[in-house]
Amino acid sequence: MQDITHDFETVSPEIWRANEEKWKERLLKLQNWHKIPLINSNASHNLSDASLARFRGMVQDMHNPEFYFEEFEVFNSSTNEIQTKSGKFTDTASILENEKINYTENLKSAQRQTMVVVSLPGLNEWAQRIEDEKNYIKHLENQPNTSKRLNAPILKRSYDETEDENAMEVVEGDNKKHARHVEDTKDQPSSVSREHLLNFPLPDVPSKSCIVKIYDDSENIKINDMVEVVGFLSVDPALSGEFQQEKNPLLEPMVESEVETITHNPPPSLVPRLHAVYIKKLDHCNPLLKDSVDEESLLRDANTSREHLLKALSELLLGDRLAAEYLICHLIACVYLRQDTITLGQFCLNISNLPTQKYPNYAKQLYDIIKQFVTKSYYLPLTVDNMNTIALLPKKDYDCNRLTSGILQLSKHTHLVLDETKMEQGRLDAAGVQNLAALGSLIKQQKVEYDFKYYKMEFDSDIAVLILSEGKSLLPSDVHVPLRPEQSSLEIFNAIVEAATYYLKEDIMDMIRVYLTRLKLVKFTIGEDLKFVNDDFVEMRSKSDSENPVTADDLHRLLVLARLVSLSRGCSTLGKECWDITKRMEDERIGRVKNRVAPTL
Amino acid sequence: MAMRDYSADKESFKNFFIDFCQTDDDGNKLFKYSEQLTRVAHKEQVPFVVELDDLYEVNEDLVEAVRNNTRRYTNMVSDVVYEMLPDYKHREVDAKDALDVYIEHRIMLESRNHRIPGEMRDPRNRYPPELIRRFEVYFKDLSTSKCMPIREVKAEQIGKLVTVRGIVTRCTDVKPLLVVATYSCSACGAETYQPVKALQFTPPPACTADECRLNKTAGQLHLQTRGSRFQKFQELKIQEHSDQVPVGHIPRQLSVYCRGETTRRAQPGDHVAVTGIFLPMLNAGFRQIVQGLLSDTYLEAHSVTCLNQSDENELTEALTEEELAELADEDLYSRMARSLAPEIYGHEDVKKALLLLLVGGVDKRPNGMKIRGNINICLMGDPGVAKSQLLNYIDRLAPRSQYTTGRGSSGVGLTAAVLKDPFTGEMMLEGGALVLADQGVCCIDEFDKMADADRTAIHEVMEQQTISIAKAGIMTCLNARVSILAAANPAYGRYNPKRTIEQNIQLPAALLSRFDLLWLIQDKPNRDKDLELAKHIAYVHQHSSQPPTQVRALSMKLVRRYVALTKRKQPVVPRNLADYIVSSYVELRREARNSRDVTFTSARNLLAILRLSTALARLRLSDVVEKEDVSEAIRLVDVSKQSLTHIDENVQRGISATDRIFAIVRDLAGTNTTVKIADVIERCVDKGFKPDQVDACIEEYENLNVWQVNQVRTKITFM
Repeated sequence: MQDITHDFETVSPEIWRANEEKWKERLLKLQNWHKIPLINSNASHNLSDASLARFRGMVQDMHNPEFYFEEFEVFNSSTNEIQTKSGKFTDTASILENEKINYTENLKSAQRQTMVVVSLPGLNEWAQRIEDEKNYIKHLENQPNTSKRLNAPILKRSYDETEDENAMEVVEGDNKKHARHVEDTKDQPSSVSREHLLNFPLPDVPSKSCIVKIYDDSENIKINDMVEVVGFLSVDPALSGEFQQEKNPLLEPMVESEVETITHNPPPSLVPRLHAVYIKKLDHCNPLLKDSVDEESLLRDANTSREHLLKALSELLLGDRLAAEYLICHLIACVYLRQDTITLGQFCLNISNLPTQKYPNYAKQLYDIIKQFVTKSYYLPLTVDNMNTIALLPKKDYDCNRLTSGILQLSKHTHLVLDETKMEQGRLDAAGVQNLAALGSLIKQQKVEYDFKYYKMEFDSDIAVLILSEGKSLLPSDVHVPLRPEQSSLEIFNAIVEAATYYLKEDIMDMIRVYLTRLKLVKFTIGEDLKFVNDDFVEMRSKSDSENPVTADDLHRLLVLARLVSLSRGCSTLGKECWDITKRMEDERIGRVKNRVAPTL
Repeated sequence: MAMRDYSADKESFKNFFIDFCQTDDDGNKLFKYSEQLTRVAHKEQVPFVVELDDLYEVNEDLVEAVRNNTRRYTNMVSDVVYEMLPDYKHREVDAKDALDVYIEHRIMLESRNHRIPGEMRDPRNRYPPELIRRFEVYFKDLSTSKCMPIREVKAEQIGKLVTVRGIVTRCTDVKPLLVVATYSCSACGAETYQPVKALQFTPPPACTADECRLNKTAGQLHLQTRGSRFQKFQELKIQEHSDQVPVGHIPRQLSVYCRGETTRRAQPGDHVAVTGIFLPMLNAGFRQIVQGLLSDTYLEAHSVTCLNQSDENELTEALTEEELAELADEDLYSRMARSLAPEIYGHEDVKKALLLLLVGGVDKRPNGMKIRGNINICLMGDPGVAKSQLLNYIDRLAPRSQYTTGRGSSGVGLTAAVLKDPFTGEMMLEGGALVLADQGVCCIDEFDKMADADRTAIHEVMEQQTISIAKAGIMTCLNARVSILAAANPAYGRYNPKRTIEQNIQLPAALLSRFDLLWLIQDKPNRDKDLELAKHIAYVHQHSSQPPTQVRALSMKLVRRYVALTKRKQPVVPRNLADYIVSSYVELRREARNSRDVTFTSARNLLAILRLSTALARLRLSDVVEKEDVSEAIRLVDVSKQSLTHIDENVQRGISATDRIFAIVRDLAGTNTTVKIADVIERCVDKGFKPDQVDACIEEYENLNVWQVNQVRTKITFM
């Protein structure tokens, strides 16, 4: 039983329980995590029940804690034996036909926390691809482990059916998508839509979700945290809330509504359960990053990567080097201080004056390149229709008793690109105004207000917002850069895009990707000697007049920008040199904002 | 642990009910529980409430036992009461409903059956006590016990009496729940009773009466609705308050089962406090088959009370030793002011004014006249001078507040609207922000962009503190006892000191004069201040924290509690201060006449000074206004006026502080040639000068031989 050499592939909950400490220790020492199948990259029907699996994602919702039996007695009526079993790391009691649980004596209850984890919203294709390559385990395909499954024979059918996309497709007629239809003769596996059960923040993106049960509460996992969970998989089809027996409502008052039961107990083939033995918070989700890279070499190489990136971006921004510099700063920005009412580090960039008349899809084309660099991003066209209909803010649904996700429920370091060039004239209704206000407060304070119906709660976020627009955006932004395209580049933009794709070979790409993710994690310090900063500010103030007011906010912004400029050049402290570069950049930009010419083309 | 002697407990309960008495104010003895028992016996009362506070006086040990194993003691008390009831029954009780008649018949039947001595009867055919009992036993938790956060109710609390607070998110219809099922047999006609303890039950398969058993007929059993006993049942779901949720977590919920008298106490959206027993529930049906390893939990309600949102317990509790130590500071006033929005640099006088707004002055009602105590403040200024941040902070700090913009976010606007109910067609009133913020603070951003309809109504709100409605046949008057904190932007983007306030803000003078204090926050470059500001900001970026100031900011919670404490004081202005106040006011008026006054110095200013000084006295937790309070109030009024005018003085005339002090002294002297220095200092401090500035001025002009100062330095004589 306590064979420590036992492989992780074959460990079962009972064996783990027998020696929890030691197993955990071994797990932490384990070199090759990839051997533990990652559910994100391997289809869950290829994994066997009650074996170790991993899942990587974002905490989307937290349910009420569950009380389970840590210890209970089982009475075997054929042998008259009493056995003690445990409900830890499992959903179903492994009970034989002639065994019975003794509910009255020697029960020990314990609490476990249930969380819904969804695959990282906005994770870009390249990151997913590399992840899959690294984690795909081939031999799982060849040997579907049905034999290991409990009660498999009767219920196996439902697996195949739920995997069949068409069978799942249920039209979401009007708003009553929660209403459960009467089951027709064909045994339909689900009457609640797949999207409803998965509850993913972003629409139209393939994703997986997973219900994670956490036994050790010490990690203090928060909502929207990126986590990696190692745990025992539980995919017993009987867990699905749809196989519920009819109840007699007169004799038994409804404790949970039916929708709630179904929502909380989705078919495990769609949403597997994972009983966590270990959970860790992730700082990033870039599969290219190795844990051991030291900061110094990174900072040394920073300039090379920056040159490549600058070259590509300035070409794409039609020869505008300044805009490209700002865009690089934007791509490496993240919130680094949050205290009381101030939030520092966010760097929302508004690039205006896009040549939309010549290239109506310029913004989208630009985004298609940007998403090749960053790990997580989402493109949202700001059309009147979108604003009025899309749910940006997460909302608590008390019928299903869960948090229905919205687009702004994103994990940290996600890039949100808002395309305002798609905005047309029209009327915003109440929902549209609310959505715009939500975007505004996200940009200004990096806070998203979740709607709990009876009250609202603010949650901290760290989402970099890039606004692409024709004129100055109607949303607030930290920095506004009007694009100044070069005439020559303007003519041949399509050729540029092609050339850029050619120029950005896979190895250069990887370099840039590592560069962008790494810089967010570098610790930046500002030295004690800041006389040049103080003096410059006093001077700026003395020059300020009613047309160009200089306020405290400007200094905050300058310091944030200086930090980003230094970091992008591989300096982890603020020096005079970078400060001067920063000031020059700002002077040039403000000059542009003031002498705004009529949009070119 | 040794088993508790439950029979002894039972006995002590019995004695407690008989003996417990309280003496009321008149010295009459009040046998609380005996009276309850009498009422219960006569079916005049259904709930039988045992207050643990009472029990605590008699038997501390038993209280602990009850709180730890409440279910058992509930049943025990039910038994005790049931046994004692016949003793308290003094007269026959009329049958109230069909079940009463039914029971009566059965008791008669029972006594008739008992005539045959030695007869063996099937114990199951006896009437279960649940069928006959018509009362419900509830425990009332100790008043000293604290409310638990829902998050903290864990496995350790199972079986115990807990009190939680939360917001009701869902409540089911009240449904009948079977307590005792009565069956009659189709073959022999015998009745079978089945007490139901859980939420569901399995009917017995066949009749077990003697007759059927002997004949082996196995008669069919039929449920008799009329003979069964039902209880009202309702399930509530409560959710944590937003302030109980740790940062970054989702609020948790708890199921509450209400039976009998505890049903229909709350509706979705209500804030409630629920006392109940935390119990596990074995799953049945689907869940038992699949998730036999899980148990749901619920709270069996013993009392459900709705709370007012403003009914904050934490505010009314006395301050602890540590908190008092924290507050024991000689200059609490400045320190508290600095603790408001500590991230906003400077603006100390504005913050002081905002602190006084939170505290508020004293309402006065001499002979039916009503003089408001609430302080209204308007902040004006160029865009980007942290007006909105200050408003936001006050909104968060004040226990009761509304934040809105002049336009109002809902259709209701600021005041109130008459709406037609879409279902019933009835007209009803819906309060706007000002009504909702009654007895609190209403923060109005973009005050200048207010709708015209609201503008007329706000005149009334700001002075009379009511809103009169005469719309669609509804004539009423709503209370709006609010302090208004407004922020306004100048009409043409930036404040133009060459124009009057009305021109700058585009609000009528009648409205502006209703503000006790008008502040103009301007952002003027100033080398020293800018350097300070730059250092401050650089520090934040350097160390990722606020720079340590000489005075540590008080926590928001402490400020809130202290402010709540100050509101209990009702300071009065002593008669001997009246002269001082009057002379100060006369001085203000005189000055307003002489100088080019941009504000409106009127009788309202006198009231403002009184309000501010009572607020200051409250802040000292004093019952009497002192001279210092008045002079500080005058200083604030003066500084606020200067904020509106000082630009032109500084820019156009360039008068230094010394020159202005000299002007004051000259005015003070009038036709006399001598002035007392004490008077000079007092007057100058009122105007916002520091004593050392006054000294410097006196010295400077003495050197210029403009005046002479006597040896003991008490008098100035002009040359």
